[in-house]
Amino acid sequence: MKLSPSFKRSLWVFHFNAGSCNGCDIEIVATITPRYDPERFGVRLVGSPKHADVLLVTGPVTKKMAPRLRRVYEQMPSPKVVICIGTCGQSGGVFYDSYNLDGPVDEIIPVDVYVPGCAPRPEAIIHGVVTALTKLERIEGGEK
Amino acid sequence: MSDGTPTKKAPYVVPIGPIHPALKEPVQFLFELEGEVVKKADFAPGQTHRGIEWMGMHRNPVQIVHLTDRICGICGVTHSLSFARAVEQIVDIEVPARADYIRVIIAELERIQSHLLWAGVAAHELGFDTLFYLAWRVREESMDVIEYITGNRVNYGLVQIGGVRRDIVSNQHPTIKKCLDGYRDLLGKMLKLFLKDTTIAIRCKDTGVLTFEKALELSCVGPTARASGVVKDLRHDYPYSAYGDLDIFPILPSAYGGEINGDVYDRIIVRLLEIEQSIGIIETCLKEMPEGPILWEPKLPKLLSACKKAQGESVGRHEAPRGECLHYVAMDGHEAPAMWKIKASSYSNLHSWIPILEGEQLADVPIIVASIDPCLSCTDRVAVVRGVQQDLMTKEDLHRLSVEKTRRIQGC
Amino acid sequence: MNETILTPQELIDRFTTAFGDAVSEPRIQIRAEGVKKNQNINIWMTITRDALKPAISMLKEISYPHLSVISGWDAGEELRMQYIFSIYFGERHGEYMVIFTVPLTKDDLVLPTITDIMPGALFTEREKQEMFGVTIQDIPDGRRLFLPEDFPEGVYPLRKDETGIPDKMVKHLWELGRPTDRPVPPVTEKEEEPKTEAGEKKVKKEEKTGKNTTPEEKKPEAEVKKDE
Repeated sequence: MKLSPSFKRSLWVFHFNAGSCNGCDIEIVATITPRYDPERFGVRLVGSPKHADVLLVTGPVTKKMAPRLRRVYEQMPSPKVVICIGTCGQSGGVFYDSYNLDGPVDEIIPVDVYVPGCAPRPEAIIHGVVTALTKLERIEGGEK
Repeated sequence: MSDGTPTKKAPYVVPIGPIHPALKEPVQFLFELEGEVVKKADFAPGQTHRGIEWMGMHRNPVQIVHLTDRICGICGVTHSLSFARAVEQIVDIEVPARADYIRVIIAELERIQSHLLWAGVAAHELGFDTLFYLAWRVREESMDVIEYITGNRVNYGLVQIGGVRRDIVSNQHPTIKKCLDGYRDLLGKMLKLFLKDTTIAIRCKDTGVLTFEKALELSCVGPTARASGVVKDLRHDYPYSAYGDLDIFPILPSAYGGEINGDVYDRIIVRLLEIEQSIGIIETCLKEMPEGPILWEPKLPKLLSACKKAQGESVGRHEAPRGECLHYVAMDGHEAPAMWKIKASSYSNLHSWIPILEGEQLADVPIIVASIDPCLSCTDRVAVVRGVQQDLMTKEDLHRLSVEKTRRIQGC
Repeated sequence: MNETILTPQELIDRFTTAFGDAVSEPRIQIRAEGVKKNQNINIWMTITRDALKPAISMLKEISYPHLSVISGWDAGEELRMQYIFSIYFGERHGEYMVIFTVPLTKDDLVLPTITDIMPGALFTEREKQEMFGVTIQDIPDGRRLFLPEDFPEGVYPLRKDETGIPDKMVKHLWELGRPTDRPVPPVTEKEEEPKTEAGEKKVKKEEKTGKNTTPEEKKPEAEVKKDE
């Protein structure tokens, strides 16, 4: 993975839980612990969508969380990348027929990187974030 | 900062959850404030409601076991165990003893990793980020053991109706024992770090007190109830699975020498001492595991047809890391259950937020909310709190207040 | 806190003598598990609605109970509500589960509240109101608990008759294919997605099935087989 000089800052990540079982959320927090340590790539979790470059979405989207997800997406400044973590956000997973779910995440906001698994390992999540970084590079490099 | 003019209430979720910018469990609190002191708290649950009970009534029991694994990622195997026990009572299956012991081992491993997770989260809420990283680093050892036995870090997929799907053979024992010995040595250090620290003592003693009478009336369960003096531990009271063969005593804060106050400090004591208890239980089970089969019926079509013929209703319970988890199942001759009700452990404990938050300072709210160890995806609840002065604070604001208070105490 | 411990039969006899016909179908369920085969005891009783609160008060005198949950079962013509209690916790191997079943007919779905004698019952009564359409009299706080506010009235998810979930409310997530062209995006700016995204999608979206997938592992240690 080569960092082109167009991307001058490190990647800040915002996590949004759209009704998940917390398995993927625990794996995300386990990713920032010293064992896997993505801070060597400069990746950091922030508390507000306005500071973030990458949005991590977990869980199948319940009806209540769908408008909030859209609002968070609109608050993020571009260029931005959306990563969907876990199978329930991609195709429903085990929750394939329910009355309170609003569909996979890409029905609500456009998704760029998918990390499958139930729950995906921290190594897979890091791989997903690094791929998102490459893509963001490409977007920013392409704009110049 | 909080007694300004009343702001407009916008239907926006203020994320407050198990305490880290990443772990946003959708919970909305509304406080009625007077200066910095909370006068009244209110909350409403319901944002991760995925309709699991309704989905369960359209599937057969074997499929439901895989669904129960994913009700909650932190306390995953408890729901599977409770459901499997309920169905086994209806269908009148006798679970082989070896399977019972394996179930106990995986349940205790889950308890260890859940309490370590909570310890890190509580430390983060107080502002001790180093301790947070240390606790989660230590937790990784138990995740390695769990992966070694079951194949995955969360959602183990180990439980099946009538037994377990994988065996723990004797050449896996040395790895497990090595991890447990490491934990035993580490536990003294963790107890010292948490309990002998002056700042933690100042912040946690006499904060968020739940009295004995309130704990009894509100039907609290788990470490929250035990820290207030209510002796309620399902493994000791109700002999089920292999727990009936073991000698387990409920841990109260008096085990560490001291009186029982029912505050946040006592809850830390109870959870850390339970880690030690779990280590002892796993070692006993590994030693005394009987030989035999691990499944009542390995062939699935026979199992499903036995379930189809069964009729009746029953209740299956298990002591999760957070309390008692109960599943009520009724079957009436069809393949799918006629009724399935889940009562997660945090369901009973959420009530206790209201009395323990009254009269507390705003900066203490994060640690108090975290101290009952809420697992909101288990309860499918959304907490919405209403009040007169509606100040929408984000979790980051509350967290910042909490950390500032710690620094003030440390500075003086 | 506990006086003499009653045997299960004595407990049932106390209720039948106090309430007579209102208590019916008593059943003791005993199960022995583990190597040493210690027994655990569940006691079931059917009680009419009017005798419910006096029965719970009597249970409180025997030993302060722990209310786990109130559940319900839509069994065709009637709705059976189960009040699941447990008593004698704190005794080693001595806890009994006591379950009161209250049958209700479908045209008379009213229950008295028990929050005045057991304050911890508030959440579970609110949930029964919205899930089954049962009206709880004198409940202090009758808001919805789990369902969103804009959930249609008159639809009760856990009922099996015409007030249950209609088919049009169920969304089959696995039927929706990959979005090849986006719907009108609720976003305000455009990104150069189509070309790069097709490449990304092929690399990343492996094994996207409706069932549980095996997690990506560096060294696959065990194959988790899921049977359906």
